Amino acid sequence: MKKYPALLLWLGMSTPVFADDATLTEVLARLRQSGQASFQYQETRRLELATSPWQARGVMLTDAAGSLVKLQLQPSRIIMAISGDSLYYWDAAQNQRHSLPISYADEAAEQILIFRSILQGRTQEFQARYDLAADIQDQHWSLHMQPKPDQADENAPSIDISGDADPDKRRIFIRQPDGETTEYRIEKTTDQQATAYTIPQLLQEAGGE
Amino acid sequence: MCFVWRKRWFLLLLPILLAVTLWQIRVESDLNAFFTNTDDADSKLLSGLLQSGELSRRYLLVVEAAVPDRTDLSSLASFSGKLIQQLGKLPDVEQVWPAHQPPRDWLNAVQLYAPYHARLFSLNPAQDAETLFAVDTLPRRAEGLKQALLSPQGGFIKAIAKQDPLLLSLNGFKGLQSQFQQTHDDAGALILQSRPAALDSAAHGRLQAAIRASFDSLNQTSGQAFQLSMAGVPVFSTAARNEISRDVTLVSTISSISVVLVFLLLFRSFAALHWIMLLQAAAFVVGTLATTLIFQQVHSLTLALGASLIGICVDYPLHVMVHSAKHHSSPLANVRLLGPSLFLGGLTTVIGYAAMGFTGFPGFEQIAVFALFSISASLALTRWVLPALLEKTTLRVVDLPGIACWVNFCDRRRKPLLSLIAIAGLLALLSLPQLHWMNDMQNLAMNMDALKQQDRTVRAHFSSIEPGRFVLIQADNFETALQRAEAAERRLQTLKQSGVISEYHGLFPWLSSQVLQAENARVYDAALTQSFQLAWHSAVAQAGLSTDKLGHLQPAGAQALLPEAVLETPVRHILSGQLLREQQGVALSIWLGDHDPDRLTAGLQGLKGTRYFSQKEQLNQLAGQYRDRALRMLAIGIAIMGVLIWLQQRSFSKMLLTLLPSLSAVLFIFAAWALIGEELSFLHVIGLLLSISLCVDYGIFFMENRGRNSGVTYHAIAASTLTTLASFGALSLGKTPTLPILAMSVSLGVTLGFLLCPLLIPKSARA
Repeated sequence: MKKYPALLLWLGMSTPVFADDATLTEVLARLRQSGQASFQYQETRRLELATSPWQARGVMLTDAAGSLVKLQLQPSRIIMAISGDSLYYWDAAQNQRHSLPISYADEAAEQILIFRSILQGRTQEFQARYDLAADIQDQHWSLHMQPKPDQADENAPSIDISGDADPDKRRIFIRQPDGETTEYRIEKTTDQQATAYTIPQLLQEAGGE
Repeated sequence: MCFVWRKRWFLLLLPILLAVTLWQIRVESDLNAFFTNTDDADSKLLSGLLQSGELSRRYLLVVEAAVPDRTDLSSLASFSGKLIQQLGKLPDVEQVWPAHQPPRDWLNAVQLYAPYHARLFSLNPAQDAETLFAVDTLPRRAEGLKQALLSPQGGFIKAIAKQDPLLLSLNGFKGLQSQFQQTHDDAGALILQSRPAALDSAAHGRLQAAIRASFDSLNQTSGQAFQLSMAGVPVFSTAARNEISRDVTLVSTISSISVVLVFLLLFRSFAALHWIMLLQAAAFVVGTLATTLIFQQVHSLTLALGASLIGICVDYPLHVMVHSAKHHSSPLANVRLLGPSLFLGGLTTVIGYAAMGFTGFPGFEQIAVFALFSISASLALTRWVLPALLEKTTLRVVDLPGIACWVNFCDRRRKPLLSLIAIAGLLALLSLPQLHWMNDMQNLAMNMDALKQQDRTVRAHFSSIEPGRFVLIQADNFETALQRAEAAERRLQTLKQSGVISEYHGLFPWLSSQVLQAENARVYDAALTQSFQLAWHSAVAQAGLSTDKLGHLQPAGAQALLPEAVLETPVRHILSGQLLREQQGVALSIWLGDHDPDRLTAGLQGLKGTRYFSQKEQLNQLAGQYRDRALRMLAIGIAIMGVLIWLQQRSFSKMLLTLLPSLSAVLFIFAAWALIGEELSFLHVIGLLLSISLCVDYGIFFMENRGRNSGVTYHAIAASTLTTLASFGALSLGKTPTLPILAMSVSLGVTLGFLLCPLLIPKSARA
């Protein structure tokens, strides 16, 4: 009998852990995306050195091979992509083109790498570097990602991903350590809309082929 | 000491000497140590550049599809990325980066300049102010700043913009950006900065093997889809080292075998052979040990050329043995009989090698020391040990066909033959002005056409900056050097616009003089008028940027950017190849792309302490210096040999007659080269200097004729000529051009000198 209080205390402590794990598993399952998909996105950036938010919109495409292309259509056409181990950037208006190994890219590549992890549900990629906290309230779910304190990269942002009953919509909020924020609202596009762009075609354009 | 004990001591000391030599020896394969390391200031600079110059330590790597058009750009880029990671882990790799992307620390270093933007925005501040501070361009610049903040480089720009809203500090770095414009073909072009000095070919051999192993391992996982090409100075130095190693082995082996075969052909005695070989081994070991102790190392080329000395050192015991065999007398008696001639012959040979050592060619200093000790050891061993070793050996020597006939023929037909020689000598003298001297030291380099072709193919993927030619700026102090470098860069800007040069890498704005910084600050402060401030404030607001953080432009501060402070940052690595070591003062270099040397040199006229420096030109100048010194040393060497002969013979005519065969041989060889148009280098002269020092021995032996039998003496000379030809002939098998040139010069010299001895030294003059 003497063991029961200790057992109850142990159960009391461990129950929330089970509950957190279950919630996290469920939220990560919602994030998981396999195969080809395309999204429309709206981006709102609040820069430390700008007085008003900057907005852009475009489409994102992913495929089963792990490629991700972010095609900004407004205010100007810019392609940023990752395919294999390479990062591509093409700004036609500024005539700026870069392609470099991901391992060599700096924090500029960080956001799109995180996006790939999020959109394709590559949870293991960010679980190593972030502490995750999930929450589900009715139809609304959220995942808060906080960089681990012992992480070498002091510029790693914190990330909040949230959604509701509509599995095709998500909100991603990225906060840099210096206070700058970027908010993405993404929504899966219809098949008809998706056929307007293809990953190989955009990668070719970005790579200058 | 009795013979038994002499023999015992020799057999006891030889292995000890060998063990000490093996313990002390340090073989050097650095070509620089052999070819360019002299006392001349420019040569030291060249030597330093070859040793540790940044560009000289750089590999250019190109990864391409094994089958063209089979691999897409993204696979290639992905493979290159993995290779960069692998290569970056190698211990001898300082840094590796894609050719189209500056290394990360270069970019980070640019941010360090933001606080000093007002002091280094332009090389020509007064001239550029009109454009940089034009009020009507401010709205566009503010919008550009906003776009830059939104771009992937936003984080980088933000850190600069907070201190330098006009991004003036980036103005000077525009050139850096243009160096890294990406083209379609260069996705697999990588630059690898190695740690070892360029000419440390052993370390580079290991590094190249490691690079290939990393590539092969990755390529295996990619289904052998790619191929790797390498270029750069270390690739050449490693190839040269391999060739030299091959030469050293081949020449040493063939030389030794040839001498052994000649010996066996002459004496047909393995008993005598093994004693003679032990003597020669001892002489070789003494030379190696002495060279190692004096120079702290012995070059592998010294060992290769030293091996040819076996053919010379063996002459001394050979003379004794031929006389012993022909006269049926003991070696001891013949050593005593021939001692003075052997000593004088050895001395003249040493003088020849010493003169060679004074030509200034660093490698020959070692060979001269090697020869001095080997020849001295061989003479001493011949005098005191040889009789003990050969005490119980019966010596017989074969009659070489034609030897006696030639001596008799010369004696009988002396007058017409001498007339012929005199006419030939006169014609030879007349032909000397046609001598054709080599102006390009590249002709002495190894034939590496395949490697050069590969180098050209690889370099086509990279910026055209080349490692061997640059603008050199020298001054007493850093500030003056920087001012001179800035003046040179202004000229280079103009020359670039007029197409004389495709590109250049200067020091501005990484380093700028205090004078230029003050001028920039003055122009900046003058441009920062109230109306300009207001216009910028308005443009920032219009672009939707924070006027609090970006709208106020601060006046130039009083704090200058000091070179010492800059060189404590990563910029030190970026500029390490452009800050050259000098014993006194400061030397800086501006690297050059494709250019027209003559127009560039003309374009730099009038700039103090500034000149165009070409490693190739410098090497050619060195070759010229070596040649002139070699000719001087040839004359000095002959004069000293003449004095020594005169001291022994006390007769001016005898001295001339002794020298005549070797001098005539040299004259005829020079004339023949002049007539056939052979390009002559200092190596040809040195070869002839050696041949004189050897032929003079023949003259001494023939003139002194201590056995009182010209036939026997000439037989002994013939035997030593054969061994010399056998050992020096082996040098002709070397791929390093130095070796065949020496082989040809010495072989021709000794052959002709040998043949002329009985003709030019009359019977009446012989003892």
